[in-house]
Amino acid sequence: MTNEEANMLLHAYIDGELDPAKTLELEAHLAQSPALRAACGRLREMSEAIRLKADYHTAPSDLEARIRAAIPAGPERSLARPTWWGWLRPAGSLAAVADWVRPAASFAAVALVTWVVALGVMRPSEDERITQEVLASHVRATLVNRFYDVASSDQHTVKPWLSARLAFSPPVADLSASGFELIGGRLDYIRAQPVAVLVYKRRQHVIDVFVWPAEAQKAEQMLTRDGFNIERFARNDMSFWLVSDLGRDELNDFARMLAE
Amino acid sequence: MTLAADSALLHEANPVPLRQTDSSPPHETLSERKRRFEQLVLPHFDAAYNLARWLTRNDQDARDVVQEAVLRAYRFFDGLRGEAKPWLLAIVRNSCLTWLAANRPAKTVGFEDGAVELLPSDEDGPDVLAARNFDRRMLNEAIAGLPAQFREVLILRELEDLSYKDIARIADVPIGTVMSRLARARRLLAESVRAASRISGTQVLK
Repeated sequence: MTNEEANMLLHAYIDGELDPAKTLELEAHLAQSPALRAACGRLREMSEAIRLKADYHTAPSDLEARIRAAIPAGPERSLARPTWWGWLRPAGSLAAVADWVRPAASFAAVALVTWVVALGVMRPSEDERITQEVLASHVRATLVNRFYDVASSDQHTVKPWLSARLAFSPPVADLSASGFELIGGRLDYIRAQPVAVLVYKRRQHVIDVFVWPAEAQKAEQMLTRDGFNIERFARNDMSFWLVSDLGRDELNDFARMLAE
Repeated sequence: MTLAADSALLHEANPVPLRQTDSSPPHETLSERKRRFEQLVLPHFDAAYNLARWLTRNDQDARDVVQEAVLRAYRFFDGLRGEAKPWLLAIVRNSCLTWLAANRPAKTVGFEDGAVELLPSDEDGPDVLAARNFDRRMLNEAIAGLPAQFREVLILRELEDLSYKDIARIADVPIGTVMSRLARARRLLAESVRAASRISGTQVLK
């Protein structure tokens, strides 16, 4: 990350609009650069000063009454049914508008089709949202170095702890013989519901295993996002999502063992 | 840089759905429609006026614009998809532009980026502007003096506390542009307050 880029990202950072991976990267940069920290402090102060001191112009009390009274209760709507894009049209006489309304309309039609197509491509699927959420959870745990609410390498401690706090009982496998050591478990909130997170360790790599009851069995999938490997599979009506900085092959081996 | 900044924004790939629900029940009477409009839209009346007031920089103009925008919003209420606040503010903003172009052509500054030169920055020197010492009047004048495209993102972010996604929708620009405009708005503002304090000799520097 260059200084220029870091300075730009500070804005999204103080506005709470930076994604977890970039936040992590920027915070590493902040830790090393006193000048960047100072710039960050100044930005926060300025933002605060504007919020505190800039005039917020509340509407004059008579204006709302005047406008409420001006909202027609008459039959205007039956004359011409308004269209949802109509407000884009500038207010003005129809005659003046007629000259360019046809080319503008065809342009708008093309733009609309492009937009709808783009929308289909851009709208994040549920999988994409879950990917972002589990990744964010993993990065957050890394940032504050707090991976588990219950620390134990004993599956018979972790499982009841989680079961007591959830509406389901996640399977907890002991894979220490294969070099994947259970270190604990925590709760998190994914897809607007509480889920179990089993925390395993392989050498210095932490692996988060998110588990929740699955309605539909989804195909196994593996992807890499911001340097983290993410793998998902489903077994016995449970959905498993693995997030780690462990190599793809090892994570895949681990997933296969969990699935057995 | 813009690309890198874009990809770093969490909410980008999440546009407001085009047709989320049909917001117009088929057998709604006019008074029901009016009541629904008042419930959904009028809570954002202050936000509408605040934006119009900051964009027109004048109370009477802001009143006219808000009145026109709210009536237009009512006429095209069936087009409301998603949240009411960004929807209304987008209409208010468009009404401001139309209104300013018609009534204050000389004052209307294009909403294009690039026309603004930044003064050389000495932000990293010891002569640092401490924002806590911003004089209230000076700050308001400096914001009012910002070019419109920077002023609007700053107002929407700091005074309305809107997300980049909503601001992008209102200003009709990509999220990356919201971020770069916000960055420039804050830079320009710091420069402007600093310059004003030098001229007036006010002790805003620490």
